[in-house]
Amino acid sequence: MSANSAISVQGLTKDFRVGIRGLKLRAVDNLCLEIPRGQVFGLLGPNGCGKSTTLKIILGLVAPTSGKISILGYPSATSSARQRTGFLPEAPYFHKFLTGRELVRYCARLSGVAPSQLDSAVEEALALASMSEAGNRTIATYSKGMLQRIGFAQAIVHDPELVILDEPTAGVDPVGSAAIGKMIHSMRDKGKTVVLCSHLLGQVEQVCDRIAIMDRGRLVLEGRVDEVLARRDKHVITVEHLTPAAQAAAEAALQAQGAHVTSITHPRRSLEDLFRELVTGSRDA
Amino acid sequence: MLKSMKPSLLRIFWLARLTFLEAVRQRFFAFLIVLGAAMVLSSFAFRFLDFGHGELKFIADFGFGGLFFFGSILALVMTAQLLFAEIDNRTALTLLAKPVSRTEFLLGKFAGIWIVLGLFVFVLSTLLGVMLWGRWQELVILAEQTAKVAPQFSLEGVFSHALLQWFRLGVVTSMVLLISTIARTFLFAVVVGAMTIVAGQLQWLAQEALFKPAELNPFSHALLWLASRLLPNLQQFNIGDALALDPSAVATGAVSAAILSGGFYLIAYLFLASLTFQRREI
Repeated sequence: MSANSAISVQGLTKDFRVGIRGLKLRAVDNLCLEIPRGQVFGLLGPNGCGKSTTLKIILGLVAPTSGKISILGYPSATSSARQRTGFLPEAPYFHKFLTGRELVRYCARLSGVAPSQLDSAVEEALALASMSEAGNRTIATYSKGMLQRIGFAQAIVHDPELVILDEPTAGVDPVGSAAIGKMIHSMRDKGKTVVLCSHLLGQVEQVCDRIAIMDRGRLVLEGRVDEVLARRDKHVITVEHLTPAAQAAAEAALQAQGAHVTSITHPRRSLEDLFRELVTGSRDA
Repeated sequence: MLKSMKPSLLRIFWLARLTFLEAVRQRFFAFLIVLGAAMVLSSFAFRFLDFGHGELKFIADFGFGGLFFFGSILALVMTAQLLFAEIDNRTALTLLAKPVSRTEFLLGKFAGIWIVLGLFVFVLSTLLGVMLWGRWQELVILAEQTAKVAPQFSLEGVFSHALLQWFRLGVVTSMVLLISTIARTFLFAVVVGAMTIVAGQLQWLAQEALFKPAELNPFSHALLWLASRLLPNLQQFNIGDALALDPSAVATGAVSAAILSGGFYLIAYLFLASLTFQRREI
């Protein structure tokens, strides 16, 4: 285990027993993973690949069949490890009769925030999640995006070193999704480690420093985003004011040097970028 | 030691507070408290059906019966429902990802439910106590006018019984909590919990049968011995009419003995529930 690791997973295997005959279903298969501190780490994979099970095991909510996990040097599932960890579950559901502010205050108390720091910690977390104004409304009145943001606030209210977000943008519109992306960036800027589990590959690409891809319980790829996505055998040159004559000259010059031009197209912006340009304000901000 | 336990006790307090707030908001609680109160109040209207016993005894039996019956339903359903709601709605995920141990989580749930049951018992016992005291005053005046012996009544006895019932419901809650940590579905927890409460009410039969070992085969003897050890004798808490109407008939130390025995089972069930809940996948 590296001293620089926020999370160290060694030989993690999880089998579930299903049916009356107790047939074994392997959800995670000998997973080894080192998540460095101070980075945004994306855990990707199709449904049922073992991502959520892995996160639950890391948090001590599910017992592993075998393997060792440590969080910030502490064995996972211990109080010391969880004291330093914040967690936003997938599709979070909170007690609806509480107001957002009451929920965050309650979570702060459970996480051991000192009474003298309680007010400032709650207000800071609400501000970071852009929920200060809506904090006095009951959770029953919140939209999906607001639920995710209040979930984010309760996860970070005790100033954890590690934040684990399970599908933080599931069911959230692109504006809300971008707001969550900003929150993740602000956590990284504060030196926190963020582990993000998501299906929105575009967002993962934008916010993550490193990614790991799981399939059928196994790790199939792990590395820096720019390294794993770069195609070393191909290049992109972006040119402005390209006339047909200039294009022909450029192609001839490249071919003379042994290069082969495979395509010339106009660069596209993503639909998400276009949507965010057109829809500037969040409905529930 | 208390200083080192303070953070843990505080977490249990906050969990209990949330459980209490969640429980008292439930329509089921309001429904049962109204139903229980209606039963206590209706005892006054039906007191002419006293079957030859005293009027006060009829009102007391009717009221204590309502307290026992609706209190048991409340303890059974609310305990199973609140635990399964936390797991099914995944609010438990958020809470248990915090530095909250599973034992603290269960103790917080138990304490919150027990406080709600205390409120239920207090409201119904106060109502019953007021009714019994009011009727007793009338009967005393009537007895003086007709030169008859006035019936006995102890308001303190009503509240001693309320304390016993609260303890009894605590034992039921811990028992249902243990079953709920093992059960996979709410329905299973409620059905098995109800059967266990009935078995607890009949536990004294097992104790009596064990006094006559010659009449039992070894298997029945072993089964009854096990049942009489694993289940509490819930009947020992039902001495309300004696406490309220004839305190001299209650054996010395009966209340303390019931509380001690109940306390033993309560702690044992909570301990076992904590052990089984450790391995539960949330």
